[in-house]
Amino acid sequence: MTNEQSIDYPTKRLTDQMTRMTIPIGPQHPALKEPISFLLTVEGERIVESVLRLGYVHRGIERICQNRNYVQNVHVVERICGICSHIHTTTYCQGIEALTGLEVPLRALYLRTLLCELERIHSHLLWLGVLAEDIGFTTIFMYAWRDREIVLDIMEELSGGRVAHAVNVIGGVRIDVDQEQVHSILARLDELERQIETLLGVIQHERTFQVRTRGVGHLSAEQVRRYCVVGPTARASGVDVDLRRDAPYAAYDRLDFQVMTADEGDVWARTLVRVQETIESLHMCRQLLTGLPQGVLTVRAPRRVPPGEVVSRGEAPRGELVYYVRSDGSDRPARVKIRTPTLTTLITLPDQLRGVHTADVPAVLAGVDLCIACADR
Amino acid sequence: MTDPLSALFTLLIFPGFGFLFVCALAVQWIDRRVAARLQGRIGPPWFQPLADFIKLMAKEDMLPIGAHEWACATLPLVSLAAVLTAALYIPVGGRAASAFEGDLIVVLFLLSIPALAYFLAGWLSVSVFSIIGGNRSLLQYFAYEVPFLMALSGPAILSGSWSISRIAAQQSQTAWMVLVQPLGFLLALVGLIGKLKRSPFDIPKAKSEIGAGPLTEFSGRKLALWHLTLHMQMVVGIFLLVNLFLGGCGNWPSGLAVFIFGIKALLILLILSVASVLYARLRIDQLANLGWRVLAPLALAQILVIIWIGIR
Repeated sequence: MTNEQSIDYPTKRLTDQMTRMTIPIGPQHPALKEPISFLLTVEGERIVESVLRLGYVHRGIERICQNRNYVQNVHVVERICGICSHIHTTTYCQGIEALTGLEVPLRALYLRTLLCELERIHSHLLWLGVLAEDIGFTTIFMYAWRDREIVLDIMEELSGGRVAHAVNVIGGVRIDVDQEQVHSILARLDELERQIETLLGVIQHERTFQVRTRGVGHLSAEQVRRYCVVGPTARASGVDVDLRRDAPYAAYDRLDFQVMTADEGDVWARTLVRVQETIESLHMCRQLLTGLPQGVLTVRAPRRVPPGEVVSRGEAPRGELVYYVRSDGSDRPARVKIRTPTLTTLITLPDQLRGVHTADVPAVLAGVDLCIACADR
Repeated sequence: MTDPLSALFTLLIFPGFGFLFVCALAVQWIDRRVAARLQGRIGPPWFQPLADFIKLMAKEDMLPIGAHEWACATLPLVSLAAVLTAALYIPVGGRAASAFEGDLIVVLFLLSIPALAYFLAGWLSVSVFSIIGGNRSLLQYFAYEVPFLMALSGPAILSGSWSISRIAAQQSQTAWMVLVQPLGFLLALVGLIGKLKRSPFDIPKAKSEIGAGPLTEFSGRKLALWHLTLHMQMVVGIFLLVNLFLGGCGNWPSGLAVFIFGIKALLILLILSVASVLYARLRIDQLANLGWRVLAPLALAQILVIIWIGIR
């Protein structure tokens, strides 16, 4: 009698090779917009193991910050990310203002918040397009990115830049709006809202969109808490966290808005939460523009910052952003530590990718809205 | 067809290679343009497909080390030959290069050769993406081919002939098959989308997942030939459906017949273009489910109904 197992059939070897393969996703891959690398081991079409590699866009920003003075650093941290640049400067400036005890004028806070919300709309629309493209729904991608131009145009008019706005300075903002601009922006926001409602309708009713996103990349509320996931990804798993409501900064305590949540915890829920959040952000922009108080835009900030340390938090489009700044009394920070929301979602990916179909990998990766430039800094 | 010059004209110009080549470029352009307009874009100018073809023909032709060079060079030619041969039996404007009883089966067989060559191209060009793409294309082949064949045999059974020309001619005396078998037409369309690997069934070449699928490693002339083959396959597929379901060119005088035929072909092309922008790409297991749980039973039921009517 021969043992079946011990015989080395050439065909068996071939089928083993066929069934177990390693697929490299990244650092360059059509599904990725930024460099990150996954080595996926697949059996047939199922993923059994995934190895993550980071650091392709590490620029040593935290160290650079220590070599520049506080004013220069506003421009350094703006360049951490090309999508959520404004929330980085907002959170940084907030921290420095708290250290120096500056009272920022109300009009400046309103304008900061306005830019924050416009940025959230632009980020979420960009994300929706990326997700749609990754699941092969090119039409939604084209529509979402076309509509995103409206927000980009508004931001360009306000600040002069489409993605890097350079709006914040320590102690206030650099830009102002007049009544004419307010009217023109309000009119365009109405148009944008109609377009987003259309997209929301498609997402809610299109069967093929649902079969590709429902049940994919599931995270339970328990997993979300264990991994400290934040932002829309956490809210889509039923964890109701949002700094704008829980620890209001800038002008958020003066706004009336809802925090959107869903219970499913999959890519579909994340889509729904983000698109509804976009509409909510539109409402907030309207409130900010109509209730814009009069007053000065900046207060004078000292060059040197008194010794001390501060933790400043802001709700970026992807979730809670944390800045820790320590000052030794000079004009340069002794330490700047930045924790971005993407870092927490990255560590959930091995869990999310296990057992997933290879075809769903782009949907899972897009679903959590990675910002590698933020995570690598 | 005894005159050699006339035979040569038929093979090379109309309705042979030259005509199909122009059609392939035109179909590609119209498709891209319609999809672009539906997505709020402008789309390419009319000469873009031709420019792409010329550019690819002139480009350097490379294969990775370890790829089966001879097979990779032959496969696009074999599939192009198969598609061109299939085109001979499909009447355009009432005129086919050749016809005999049973040519429908030959055409369907010839049209499945590119699918197998596509799989082999992926398998032999040693890249993870092309191997996965090849596997998927084979799985997809099994999912769409059976309903597609059954849907196309509907008109043949009903008209009692397996010759495409005769099925087309018969419809001008009775009714168009699309009116008698709307379900069959729908199934044939879905099958055709699967066969052409068009969105939403572009699973083997899903670019956000596996690059260009089986053709990932192809470049230059080979890639140009592949693209030409796939677009000619689209032309042939559309012409086939026009003949089987939309009554071919009807009873019109010969000049008008080609025009009418073109309008009908355009109609099917528009349906394909609209379908390609309306949906998200399915997963291969979802397509297999759709093929075997929905399309195949429906096609089978329809054939049984046709046979039952035929017996009565």
